[in-house]
Amino acid sequence: MSIFDWSRSRRSPGPSVSDGTGAVGSLGVPPAHHVGGIAVIGWIIALIAVTAGMLAVRARLNEAHVALVFLLVILGASAHVGRTLGLGLATAAFLLFDWYFLPPYGALIITNPLDWVVLIAFFGTSAVAAQLLYRARAQADAAQARTVEIDRLAVLGAETLNAGRAEEALLAVAAVIRGTVGVDWCEVYMREPGHTRIVLAARSSGDQASDGPSVVAEGQLVHWVAEHGTEATVLMDGTSRVASSLHGFDGPSVLGASIAQSEGEGMFAEPSRVLFLPLRVRDRIVGVLTIGAAMGLDLSASRRRVLRALSYYAALGVERVRLVRDAEHAEALRQADQLKNAVLASVSHDLRTPLTTIKALANAIAASGDARAATIEEEADRLNGFVENLLDLSRIQAGGHRSDPGPNEAEDLVGAALQRVSGRTAGRDVIVTVSTDGDAPLVGRFDFSDTLRALVNLLENAYKYSPAASPIELSVCREAQWLAFMVADRGRGVPDAERDRIFQPFYRRPDAPPDVGGAGLGLSIARSLAVAQDGSLTYEPRDGGGSVFTLRVPALDLSDLETNG
Amino acid sequence: MVRDAPAAVVPSPSPPRPSSVLIIDDEPQIRRVVRAALEGEATSLLEAGTGAGGVALAAAEHPDLIILDLGLPDADGQAICRALRERSRAPIVVLTARHAEAEKIALFDAGADDYVTKPFSSEELRARVRAHLRRASGALRPEADGSITVGEVIIDFSVPAVTRAGSDVHLTRTEWDLLRALVDHDGRTMTHAQLFRAVWGNGSGDAQQYLRVYVRNLRQKLELDPVRPRLIVTEPGVGYRFVRAPRP
Repeated sequence: MSIFDWSRSRRSPGPSVSDGTGAVGSLGVPPAHHVGGIAVIGWIIALIAVTAGMLAVRARLNEAHVALVFLLVILGASAHVGRTLGLGLATAAFLLFDWYFLPPYGALIITNPLDWVVLIAFFGTSAVAAQLLYRARAQADAAQARTVEIDRLAVLGAETLNAGRAEEALLAVAAVIRGTVGVDWCEVYMREPGHTRIVLAARSSGDQASDGPSVVAEGQLVHWVAEHGTEATVLMDGTSRVASSLHGFDGPSVLGASIAQSEGEGMFAEPSRVLFLPLRVRDRIVGVLTIGAAMGLDLSASRRRVLRALSYYAALGVERVRLVRDAEHAEALRQADQLKNAVLASVSHDLRTPLTTIKALANAIAASGDARAATIEEEADRLNGFVENLLDLSRIQAGGHRSDPGPNEAEDLVGAALQRVSGRTAGRDVIVTVSTDGDAPLVGRFDFSDTLRALVNLLENAYKYSPAASPIELSVCREAQWLAFMVADRGRGVPDAERDRIFQPFYRRPDAPPDVGGAGLGLSIARSLAVAQDGSLTYEPRDGGGSVFTLRVPALDLSDLETNG
Repeated sequence: MVRDAPAAVVPSPSPPRPSSVLIIDDEPQIRRVVRAALEGEATSLLEAGTGAGGVALAAAEHPDLIILDLGLPDADGQAICRALRERSRAPIVVLTARHAEAEKIALFDAGADDYVTKPFSSEELRARVRAHLRRASGALRPEADGSITVGEVIIDFSVPAVTRAGSDVHLTRTEWDLLRALVDHDGRTMTHAQLFRAVWGNGSGDAQQYLRVYVRNLRQKLELDPVRPRLIVTEPGVGYRFVRAPRP
């Protein structure tokens, strides 16, 4: 619907025009001129008086004098009281003219045919004048009524925009609708952002006890209206009617008129208690407006028109509440994110200090030959590794991790990885194969620290899940645009069904020996780190049993490198 | 290059010289752990609980080595590092968290010599401190003829020449410059940018990527097993360090 729709309907002024006094609550009252009966009687007396006066000097008057004097009275009455009195006086004057002032006097007989001309011209002039005066006045009244409506909408608009909180603005709209349309209560429901749930956003009612849509059926109607975007009513007998969706709210007809087409008598033909209107913003249903009156709704055409305009404000108010909530939600998310970072930093720091103490003291005691202290140190390392992995994972998943890919050399990375796992893989053979093309180094564009971490995770994974006697093989080669690091073990491999799940956080193989450390984060972190720098991490079963994990990062060509420096 | 060390100073093996170590850490437990680890390595231990106190102590007492925790509540680690470096030439070993990797480069630029990641073992810290104290005391100066022997590799900057297991190794000019930059600061971690400046002069640029390749070439020529380097060690994300195992 558009706020301009109602202006179209004013082309047919019709009988329903307010007197324009403009008090809230009186807008749209059916036409009734409140000029008292005294005025009517006064004008009748005036007609009798001028008739009597002219009768006294009848001999000296001709038809023109009489007609003009009567016309004066009729015009006065028409302008003062209205068309009905004007036409009534015109008819009376017509008869009086004939009876008293056209020969033969005292009878409704006309002998001179030219007198017919006088009489008919007189009556015609009177009737047309009364009608013209009435129309001019009606148009002035209608214009004034529009002015009042526009003023009210403007004030409402300003108040809506001025209200400090979005909810208060909506409440103000509900109060204005209730007062202006003259109903017992008015409620505005809004759709919860991101949900199909409908909640009451504002309610304005005369007294607390007045019956809102407490009935279950009416609550369901609100949902129905929000879902289908069509109007609905609850009749006085408690049954409900819904508008046909073919004749939506945005048709040219005023509220309910469309139902008249589909249901014959229409929604307003039967007295209804509650009316439900869908609220739209840009073709999107944002909420539902309901109005209700215990004694039945009295919706004249002009009230319906105003209701339409006001419901647009309600729709904008609902939209504003939603936007404010969205902004608040985003702010809450940002704060939660900040809090999480603070917690991460705190956990990271507060765990590290005691771990450092425990590890260092255990290390010192172990040096004096106590094997139990060595276990304490190992467990401290394991706990530290777990905490670091957890922190890494949450950082990566929260998008707080930034990798910085740059040109790096493959053997450098392999060397650093072997160095890092040397303490943990003591006694295990790691067979390294670097497949270079002649003497040219293998260079790639990757983040050294992140890729190192991923590779170390793969080596530790191979170490954990393969027999101690079997060597781990690490090979590097160029694969088209990729630099591929392959870690192969002779473990039990991964069953087909598990192949995607091994990269999920906290996944542990069902056949994992209980003493294998780790919480199933290593592969997940490794893959995340690889993907973060446009690389990949994949699994393949190994020929002859075991697993091959392949870490790929973008390769780099250094063809213009001057090797002789 | 010939080190201007007097030929007389070849104390091998030398008794530990009197040495003092300053520990700057706000956590008393960590200070206790560090103190316990360094017993026998340092003859005197100074402690400071704040960055400002540590800087004042360093200026007043001239310690031979400084251990600085990065997570001090009262000041930024880089700023303290810089302030310490203005007042003292002692090696600075930083205690850091693994997640502060991006910060490490800035720390080395601010004057730090080495770092140890928490949680560390007493052994690890002791080994680092020992190496830095020996280097600072001049115990690892070149031989009288200006040559350096590391394992089976003998580097002589006066010729210059490198032999590995008795056979000559040919180094290009750039490789020589790189090796000299590393050996000059042996035991210290050199950042990529520092090495680049030392070899190619000022500035940065695309050529920085070649540093990694020259390191690889140098390793191919000097290391016994290039993928398990012992002389030129990678400090991930930071740079490289030349390691001279202390002579027995």
